[in-house]
Amino acid sequence: MMLTFLLLLPFLGAIALATWPNLAAKSARNLALISAGTALVWTIWLFTQFDLTTGSLQFREFWPWLPALGLNYELGLDGLSLMMVALNSLITWVAIWSSDPNQERPRLFYCLLLLVSAGVAGAFVAQNLLLFFLLYEIELVPLYLLIAIWGGEKKAYAATKFLLYTALSGALMLAGFLGTVWLSQAEDFTYHAGLGQSLPLLWQVGLLALLLVAFGIKIPLVPFHTWLPDTYVAASTPVAMMLGGVLAKLGTYGLLRFCLGLFPDAWVWLSPYLAGWAAVSVLYGAITAIAQKDIKRMVAYSSIGHMGYVLLGGAAMTELAMTGAVTQMVAHGLILAILFHLVGLIEAKVGTRELDVLNGLMNPVRGLPMVSALLVLGGMASAGIPGLVGFVTEFLVFQGSYATYPLQTLLGVIGTGLTAVYFVILLNRTCFGRLDNAIAYFPQVSFSEKLPAYLLAGLILYFGIQPNGLVQWSAPTAQVITAALPTIPGQLLANPPTPQPLNPNL
Amino acid sequence: MTTLTHTPLPPSTHPHADIIHRLEAGGSMLPDTPENLMQIIGIYKAYAVPMDFYWRDLLYIAERVFLNPIPAFKYFLPQSYLDLPNHYAGETADLRIWRGEATAHPELLEFMEKGELKHKLPKLFHHLWHDRINMEFAEACMRAMLWHQGMGGRFNDYLQTPEYTEACDRTIRAYFKGNPVMLGLYKAFPEMFYEKCRELSYYANLGQFWEVMAPVFFEMSDIYDEGGFAGVPDAMDFLVNGIFAVAGRPIYHHVYVGDECFELIPKSCGFTWLYEAALPYVEAVFYRTAPFRGTKSYNAQAGQVPAAQSDFHYGILFADVFPIGSAGIPPTLLMQDMLHFLPPYLQDYYRQHCRGEDDQLTQIGATFQRSMYNVTSAVIQALRTALLYPLNDPNPEHLRANRQFFEAQMDRFLRPEARLRDIQRQDYR
Amino acid sequence: MASIVEIATTTPGFSTLVAAVQAAGLVEALQGAGPFTVFAPNDDAFANLPLGTVQTLVQNPPQLARILKFHVVAGHYTQADLSQVTSLQSLEGSPIPVNGAAGEVKNATVLMADVEADNGIIHVIDRVILMG
Repeated sequence: MMLTFLLLLPFLGAIALATWPNLAAKSARNLALISAGTALVWTIWLFTQFDLTTGSLQFREFWPWLPALGLNYELGLDGLSLMMVALNSLITWVAIWSSDPNQERPRLFYCLLLLVSAGVAGAFVAQNLLLFFLLYEIELVPLYLLIAIWGGEKKAYAATKFLLYTALSGALMLAGFLGTVWLSQAEDFTYHAGLGQSLPLLWQVGLLALLLVAFGIKIPLVPFHTWLPDTYVAASTPVAMMLGGVLAKLGTYGLLRFCLGLFPDAWVWLSPYLAGWAAVSVLYGAITAIAQKDIKRMVAYSSIGHMGYVLLGGAAMTELAMTGAVTQMVAHGLILAILFHLVGLIEAKVGTRELDVLNGLMNPVRGLPMVSALLVLGGMASAGIPGLVGFVTEFLVFQGSYATYPLQTLLGVIGTGLTAVYFVILLNRTCFGRLDNAIAYFPQVSFSEKLPAYLLAGLILYFGIQPNGLVQWSAPTAQVITAALPTIPGQLLANPPTPQPLNPNL
Repeated sequence: MTTLTHTPLPPSTHPHADIIHRLEAGGSMLPDTPENLMQIIGIYKAYAVPMDFYWRDLLYIAERVFLNPIPAFKYFLPQSYLDLPNHYAGETADLRIWRGEATAHPELLEFMEKGELKHKLPKLFHHLWHDRINMEFAEACMRAMLWHQGMGGRFNDYLQTPEYTEACDRTIRAYFKGNPVMLGLYKAFPEMFYEKCRELSYYANLGQFWEVMAPVFFEMSDIYDEGGFAGVPDAMDFLVNGIFAVAGRPIYHHVYVGDECFELIPKSCGFTWLYEAALPYVEAVFYRTAPFRGTKSYNAQAGQVPAAQSDFHYGILFADVFPIGSAGIPPTLLMQDMLHFLPPYLQDYYRQHCRGEDDQLTQIGATFQRSMYNVTSAVIQALRTALLYPLNDPNPEHLRANRQFFEAQMDRFLRPEARLRDIQRQDYR
Repeated sequence: MASIVEIATTTPGFSTLVAAVQAAGLVEALQGAGPFTVFAPNDDAFANLPLGTVQTLVQNPPQLARILKFHVVAGHYTQADLSQVTSLQSLEGSPIPVNGAAGEVKNATVLMADVEADNGIIHVIDRVILMG
């Protein structure tokens, strides 16, 4: 029951929000906070119970649901899932906190937000392919509504685009799962690592391609990314935090769990191309971000670039790079959440996101000095400045992948350099310079509004200085995942520092 | 004055015609509203208290610290200078402008003792914690006057005369008597020492200027508290009268070495407060000064810095008040000083607007700008009285001359940086 | 005839000017050979100055002398001469703008012109003129 609570707590909160009679706006927010907060506390408790010595699944739960279909309620948690669940609980709570206290139609808003959180939490711990698919699809509806009702400019267009893309992603994924199970003649949809390994390599590659496109849309990776800037920009701040901080992780989670997990042979076979794809994504995201004139859009494009590192880490197939990929997902979630939160604050206070209009927000008296300072920190973390969590994870990825794919890694490093370029542009225009007299009567930012940013900044700093607090949880799982991979193609194994892969006997 | 509501002249076509007409009707550049009056009087009072320290310390540095090569304690006023009777306040005054006492203001003494920390600590700690009067602001004003120099009056010309250098020579020799190192340096680089003396003469000049302004502002505050001002023009007229009353006050520079007094600039030079101190001060500090360091980059090659010093326009009448709060720049220093002595009604007022106490410094800055537009109005009206004609002069030629004068003054506020239009609005804070 | 100072002393309506000249220690100078042209503000002119102005000046003779010297020009200029010039150099050093046609000296109007004295000439004016 321990994992079920992860779904149940936000779900019950959503039900309560929907049904409680005469709920005032303020109470709705508090109720949502309590519900998400309990889930967060529950997650923290899971950490204390988590067995660090094993990389396999823990807290397993099983209830038959529709055995005829092979659909069972199966949950389990390993280091990878744990990280994702923790990120989801944290970002959900922070996103609710950072929502406008005078939110329009608060009950529906928080109810949908909690439903998304419940669905995502379920997806991260689901150990049944169909169950994963269901939960993956279920969160689309509340998200679509969240964007379409509370979004900004062009919200209807953005919401529809998001729905179409992600629905296609779901369809491809379902096709991939069905194909895998039917072709491998498994008795049900229960997830087993290396499930597809028995198939001929060509079949494997074909099925893997389906899943890659499915998750590539969700992450997103170039060229499946075009829904992302529109959606992120149109979404309100809490929704953008959820989208960038958590929802995108469903894609990378799927990549590592299902693409790599189900078809290790095909993965190895495709990995040089995947690494190249990652490098293209990284560079494309960074270069496009440089060209943006809207700071929210800039942050949105930065997300594309940073998700490329996860693919790179996964493609490299070393334990180090795999750890890097998992932690990069967490780091990216924290950093993107703080950036979207701060950009949202700036938009709320200053009334614009235009890079050419914003100026001098670092002004200590009339500007938004603390918001600017935190934005500088977020930018530095995103650009991989040492001492912050972004550096740790990117460095792990690069260190781990250089041995396998030096060229692609170097391109990724260049991408990090380009990240610094657009963040310097963003920070220089937004925070520095002269505050314009005509517009500089911004409302004050209260402590409560800044609290999410403080929290996230604290974690970004803490994990930057004490990366073990992050790495230790996922390291055993990363070891298991890489160990499951077949021997890396010989010509790539020239470098001695690569950890010796074990026999693919799982 | 205020009975005159229109002139026989046709309306001015100047962009600031509304303000010119107001000046011709005996008004101020600052609109006459009770809110403006409250703001400017409150800020005059808050300005006068640190000014009481500024003038005393400026004179102390000019007269006693003099050429001390390591003037580490120049901001530590000895009791004798705190007790130095102001020539325009108290029983002993030459001309009693303020009815209060001639020695240092009680609020100043209280602040010097306990500071912002509200805790009595050794003076050195308050100093190092920067919990003190920011004399750096006074020195920045002095330096503006020194650097802009030729702004009317004879003061600067005199600093280049042989009489002055001879007096310096005598004083320097006496001051460094028995100090072969400094005397040797003096022999090697005499011009450097003379230049330092010139700077110190400007210390004395500014000190004597502010010695007058502090009691003027204190008295204005008292009159306001007694309900004596009906509007902004009244406050301006008080300033005009004050300017005339002390116009002939001598400006000089005496240096004391032990008990001996050396007259670097004797009173017999005939330098007056109006011509040698007030007008150069207004020009240097209100209009010109220099950009605040560290707030904006200027590209001199792109013409962003004027080639002629007379085209400088970074003074309080033009300055952007938003950098206030940035470390170490003169406006921050002054606003911080005034913050400690705000009358209660002004504290309440700031709490009600913008970000309340959080951006008080900037709000003080905008108020200070208003108040200095009023002082500048007083200077303009005083000059008009002294050099031109009464506002109700029956001769249209005279009125035309007045109009030309006002228009020429307003031309200086045609620059886009000028805050004249801003202070017309009540919501400029 | 009498000297400039004697005329000022004996003519009613110039007591403030005479007192000021004495306070400034300019009596001797104005009794010199000259010739001087003096623009003499009458008592009303001094009375028009704001309160305290004269008091401060009287307390400070060198400063007072400077203001008074601004009213004196070296040379002998009759009203007819004044209409030929636009500006005169005062003993103070600053120029005095003159508008002979309108009978104006700076912003003051000449009330009585061409009072001849031993060592110069006096023009009575209705306002104390100031440099600048």
